[in-house]
Amino acid sequence: MAFTLYSLLQAALLCVNAIAVLHEERFLKNIGWGTDQGIGGFGEEPGIKSQLMNLIRSVRTVMRGKKKN
Amino acid sequence: MPGPASKRRIPVSQPGMADPHQLFDDTSSAQSRAYGTPQGPSGLGYPTASASPQAAFLSDPVSNMAMAYGSSLAAQGKELVDKNIDRFIPVTKLKYYFAVDTLYVGKKLGLLFFPYLHQDWEVQYQQDMPVAPRFDVNAPDLYIPAMAFITYILVAGLALGTQDRFSPDLLGLQASSALAWLTLEVLAILFSLYLVTVNTDLTTIDLVAFLGYKYVGMIGGVLMGLLFGKIGYYLVLGWCCISIFVFMIRTLRLKILAEAAAEGVPVRGARNQLRMYLTMAVAAAQPLLMYWLTFHLVR
Repeated sequence: MAFTLYSLLQAALLCVNAIAVLHEERFLKNIGWGTDQGIGGFGEEPGIKSQLMNLIRSVRTVMRGKKKN
Repeated sequence: MPGPASKRRIPVSQPGMADPHQLFDDTSSAQSRAYGTPQGPSGLGYPTASASPQAAFLSDPVSNMAMAYGSSLAAQGKELVDKNIDRFIPVTKLKYYFAVDTLYVGKKLGLLFFPYLHQDWEVQYQQDMPVAPRFDVNAPDLYIPAMAFITYILVAGLALGTQDRFSPDLLGLQASSALAWLTLEVLAILFSLYLVTVNTDLTTIDLVAFLGYKYVGMIGGVLMGLLFGKIGYYLVLGWCCISIFVFMIRTLRLKILAEAAAEGVPVRGARNQLRMYLTMAVAAAQPLLMYWLTFHLVR
């Protein structure tokens, strides 16, 4: 038990941090999840993988702030 | 310092006399001057209040000024809050979910415990807006989930009390834990809806309402467990789990699998299969959570 709102907040923060630190060149490209590798055609239903890649890219862009990659 | 203090005390004992060494003007006499700042009246209010009875204090024109100013400040603050509250809490949208009456609550509770005979699960629409819960038993509401949540906390306290395990901070812990599970469920479902790219009209508040219906079954189970021991608990909880499972499947099917399942035809195709799995997963999570949140209360 002892699953409180605060522990949920901590877990969410750690998850967002985990997504934000995935390195573009060293990791995502090697497993084929880079930002320029997944864009499907227009009018095509985006599958789960492209939605996830979109999500990772959005989280990383938002978390980047002013720092240049 | 005795000097200023004694000077301040002089107007109290001799109201109306102007002392040349006073720190401030004494207007406790009948002559009235209109002061715009509240500091004047509030500083002068004390000598006059202690010197004269309450009625004279309230009829003093300067303190009238102070009351008028204070009430206009309060009115301005209220206006500001009313204007901006809609930005943080969608009050007008929430009002829809609390538009319930006793008949609706009764029918909905009956539906939660026995959803097997209900035929039509579609929410009626009126001019493109869903009808208020008062007029349609299928519409989601927030009254039952909110009341059930609070009752669950109280029943948990009762159950812990009968086992001599109660302490007040445990109530807060139960509430926090149940809220945390609810938030986690909502986030997980929203995330999976995003992944499967479902275009639904299922809003977040709708989802909170649907996920809050399981507290009703939990209360039933714990109460029966208190009355009849573990056998009663398992029986009633099992019944409520199955009921909530069927209820969620029938309700969510209309929201998530909108196009195909409204006629009741079993659907094929990868996308619809994914949606069906999602509905089943959401419905299956309800009994699991119902058990997880109540088993430690019944011994």
